Amino acid sequence: MRLLIVLGVLMLVVSLAATGTAQQKLKAGFIYIGPIGDYGWTHAHDQARRIAEKTVAGVETVYVESVPEAQAEPFIDKLVQQGAKVVFTTSFGFMDGTLAAAKRHPEVIFAHASGFKRAPNMATYMADFYQVYYLNGLMAGALTKTGKVGYVGAFPIPEVKRHISAFALGVRAVNPKATVHVRWIFEWFKPAAAKEATAALIAEGVDVLAFTEDSPTVVQEAAKRKLASFSHYSPMQKFAPQHTVSGQLVHWEKIYVDFLSKVQAGTYTAKNLANVDYWWLLAEGAVELGGDFGVPINPAYKSRLQAAKVTTPDLGRLSVYDLVMKRQAQMANPKMGFDPFTGPINDRKGALRVAAGKRMTVGELNTMEWAAPGIVGPWAKEP
Amino acid sequence: MMEYVLDTVIRAVAVGTPLLWAGLGEIYAERAGVVNLGVEGMMILGAFSAFVIAHTTGNPALGLVVAGGVGGTAALLHAFVAVTLRANQYVSGLALAMLGVGLTGVLGRGWEGIPLLATLPEISALTYVSIVVAAGLWFVLYHTRVGIVIRSAGESPAAADALGVNVYLVRYLSVAFGGVLAGVAGGFLSVAYRPSWTEGMTGGAGWIAIAIAIFAGWNPLKAIWGAFLFGALYYLSFRLQTWVPPELLRMMPFAFTILVLAATAGSRRGEGAPEALGLPYVSGQR
Repeated sequence: MRLLIVLGVLMLVVSLAATGTAQQKLKAGFIYIGPIGDYGWTHAHDQARRIAEKTVAGVETVYVESVPEAQAEPFIDKLVQQGAKVVFTTSFGFMDGTLAAAKRHPEVIFAHASGFKRAPNMATYMADFYQVYYLNGLMAGALTKTGKVGYVGAFPIPEVKRHISAFALGVRAVNPKATVHVRWIFEWFKPAAAKEATAALIAEGVDVLAFTEDSPTVVQEAAKRKLASFSHYSPMQKFAPQHTVSGQLVHWEKIYVDFLSKVQAGTYTAKNLANVDYWWLLAEGAVELGGDFGVPINPAYKSRLQAAKVTTPDLGRLSVYDLVMKRQAQMANPKMGFDPFTGPINDRKGALRVAAGKRMTVGELNTMEWAAPGIVGPWAKEP
Repeated sequence: MMEYVLDTVIRAVAVGTPLLWAGLGEIYAERAGVVNLGVEGMMILGAFSAFVIAHTTGNPALGLVVAGGVGGTAALLHAFVAVTLRANQYVSGLALAMLGVGLTGVLGRGWEGIPLLATLPEISALTYVSIVVAAGLWFVLYHTRVGIVIRSAGESPAAADALGVNVYLVRYLSVAFGGVLAGVAGGFLSVAYRPSWTEGMTGGAGWIAIAIAIFAGWNPLKAIWGAFLFGALYYLSFRLQTWVPPELLRMMPFAFTILVLAATAGSRRGEGAPEALGLPYVSGQR
């Protein structure tokens, strides 16, 4: 009799366990550098996480926010302890911590955003804005009346420098005498600093602004003085519907859905990621031009951009509006008929940085420290 | 040149107004003998409540009033712990700061990314009112009986108690008053200075306000120039980036404050901290 009961319980447990594993979802953990309420970088990652969770079958996600850069490892360990089989670390500063954790958890898959170190179980991914910044620059060059365009920058690291240089190349393509004035605030998120830096730039005579800061402060501040600006990262057009020309928007979910689907399908394992590096741009749909989803150029600025004419070496003479749309189409095409960083390009000191006819490679873009011509202001580690 | 100076003055006042309000509140709390390190928490609670009220009712002024109420209520928590429970005031204040930032982070989910239509201009009546309030608070502190009562609670609570002053009540009210002003300062940030809500938006302003209270020698009039000086230096740290390396400019406002303190150290007799600052008072003890 006792034997029957024991057998019965055993069968019950085994059957429950079996159904348990069959229904077990793939757990993906996300480590964020900032709060999801920042309406910038981390907010965008979190929105993408939610979309990925809904889109990819059999995936559940967990996240930890506001993790200081040096403390990625303890939090990664915690997520792995909770059963995460995939861990995404969403900041450049987490790079070394992620690599160390990847070595200690060889059965867990890691993916690190905006970095360049990889391992058999650690991939890298990035949705980069430089093409979109170039398009923004074309518009800024056309709209500036004082010839001075402003940029509020966060940290002088290659990513931000690349964006500012792409922006400046766009500005100069339309307005060869314009200058891009840069002010640094040394924080990714600091509304007060962004505000005062904007005021400082406006006091210098700037009348169009772009920025890298995780809040709509610059947009609001520029709009207060009736000046045009470009939204950054999240749809900020609603903060200044009449004064946001365009901007940069991101769709991290394109990468997350692709990555998680491949993990589910077994294409990505914890052994074959050493060469997996997502460098996704307009062509993959990972980034989008606009201050709001689906609005590449604010209709309020359409007529001004159509009235401004520019002569280009390959497309002839056309309005800036048409130029922006054409360049966007060229770059959205996977064959990439156009790239802003195509030589010959000199840096602002006159040294040749990109040879004639050549394009910058991903490695060069990821490590660029030089400044494009037209940029005015302090530039740390300028070669 | 004149334009440069004028521009700097305007920015100094815009940046300095919330610092002044919060600093004045902290001066009163500390004059009564209670250190309240929770200014950051009270400010951000005020910022969030002001934003919510301004957004839902369309009345930014009402938002400021509610912000003051919220700040004052939060401060009462600290007052209870510091005055009645006689626990370590520094720890309690720090806990309040963290509580405020954390609570607003949780409550504020979903509130970011909403533009506020009902706003106040950043240089407005509130700025002029803050100068008048500072002058008024200085007058009260040094030339009225209420001021003497507050100061005595901070300098020598035992003597005040012997003369019939209810030290506990005075400390409670001063801390609450400090909280009200800090809440209004935070509300100013989210309704006038930068009309929107993002988690952690006070960005350390509360700590600066505490520093201003000390820098001003616990004198409301000196707090005016302390707050606006800091505002000017903060603005200049961006304006001057074309001539001075930005890394140096980053520390300029803080380094400058230390320099001024060091330079004026000799002439600061009689400006020391209230004697009983930070010490819990028990009726009947010396």
